[in-house]
Amino acid sequence: MTSIREEMWTNRAILFNFAISDLKVRYRNSILGVLWSIIEPLLMLSVLYFVFSTMFKFDIPNFPIYLLLGIIIYNCFKNGTSFALNSLTNRSALITQIYFPRSIPAISSAITASIMLAIEVGILLIFMIAFQFVPPITILLLPLVLGLQFMFVVGVCLPLSVLNVKFKDTEFIWNVVVHAGFFLTPIFYQFDMLPEFVQNILQFSPMVQILTMAHHVVLYGLLPPINSILYAVGSISVLTIIGYLIFRKYQAQMVEEM
Amino acid sequence: MRRCNLSEYAIRVKSVSKNFKIHHEKRDSVFESMTGFFQKQKHSEILQALDNISFDVKNGEIFGIIGPNGGGKSTLLRIISKIYSPDSGSVDVQGKIIPILALGLGFHPEFTAITNIYQSSILLGFKKETIDTRIKEIIKFAELEKFADTKVKNFSSGMLMRLAFATSVFVDPDILIFDEVLAVGDENFQKKCAKTILSFKERGKAIVFVSHNMGLVREYADRVMFLNKGKAQTIGSPDDVIAAYGDFCRERDKISNVSNE
Repeated sequence: MTSIREEMWTNRAILFNFAISDLKVRYRNSILGVLWSIIEPLLMLSVLYFVFSTMFKFDIPNFPIYLLLGIIIYNCFKNGTSFALNSLTNRSALITQIYFPRSIPAISSAITASIMLAIEVGILLIFMIAFQFVPPITILLLPLVLGLQFMFVVGVCLPLSVLNVKFKDTEFIWNVVVHAGFFLTPIFYQFDMLPEFVQNILQFSPMVQILTMAHHVVLYGLLPPINSILYAVGSISVLTIIGYLIFRKYQAQMVEEM
Repeated sequence: MRRCNLSEYAIRVKSVSKNFKIHHEKRDSVFESMTGFFQKQKHSEILQALDNISFDVKNGEIFGIIGPNGGGKSTLLRIISKIYSPDSGSVDVQGKIIPILALGLGFHPEFTAITNIYQSSILLGFKKETIDTRIKEIIKFAELEKFADTKVKNFSSGMLMRLAFATSVFVDPDILIFDEVLAVGDENFQKKCAKTILSFKERGKAIVFVSHNMGLVREYADRVMFLNKGKAQTIGSPDDVIAAYGDFCRERDKISNVSNE
């Protein structure tokens, strides 16, 4: 893992160059520009709020804030991984003509998604003011939770970027996973609403662990139980290492398949 | 003392081999790989692109590579540039390297000339500040003053080549690599390129290039390698190697003439 960190540090100029140019390309052709990244989660929020507060009558305290927190955190995972899927294939001209560390496009996809998340956290704060919700002091721990999420997103982005070069249907399979994940993560419901056997399975999902911790520190003013923190950090580290190993196995031959 | 001797070499290639798998029916989806797992049919064969190649390029030397199509020239340049990794053997490169392997330097069609100059040079490991000070000269050398803010997808092949060449020489690498691309420019620009390349050589930099233009090879190369079917047939002075390549071509033509009759 230290080798990735070193690579990121020595190549930070390239990383940010990629992340910024990603953002520019993404928004240059739309009139509303960066506003789009704000409007999308808000639209999602209003639809989900309408459905689950009027039709299903969920009774979750501070529901709009609960929803928005879940949406932006899951969006970061969704955006980061979907940028990463095509991060190498979109740059095939560059990759077949110039050598640079092949991990950079995937990592910069995660950075791009994190920059978008930072903007969305700003909107979350505005929402808190609008709904007169005073966040507990534990909200200061949110950056740590998001840091853990960044590590997880990088760990997924790395293998996805090379696998999508080798297997062209990775993209479609991954879209299904992301869609399913949206419903299997407590974004618009509370985890304990689920039947116990479902909870027992879903507790292994890193996104469930991350979002649960975010709920604790942002909404309930509680520290997550220490054993669940340790478990989340441990399992996400292992997943990230596995992701890196898959990436390393395919990265050299990937260029020849382009 | 020993250190000095070592750094005399800009590039040292030691018994490099490279095989490619040629797929008859390429399986490029997860689904096909799973179904293909149960079929015993052979669906690919091995092409040996490079077979035990060794050579050195010294600082201040211009090294030419010639040979027929499919001889392994481009693969070799890609391995020196670290784009492909060799199956066996090693490549030792001292200093920063810039390869011009196709039209452009991996330029992004949607970016302007200026943005592309920055992106490619930063990727090759050069500092943004260095480029800031040289960007005007690059544009001027490439004769693209009017098109600096044009997206490169609208560029002609000559313009792309000029932009790539200008970028590569002004960011001042230690080693330059060209794959048969300089032929695209007009005569005037080719003269300018030649002058620049010679000044590179005088400053002790190494240049490796592939060409089918024997006049160019004879005029500029210090040493030449003739590569055929992945094997280094001869390495030596331009005159000798070009003569060997000429013999090979005549021999090949004779055989194809006989088989035609």
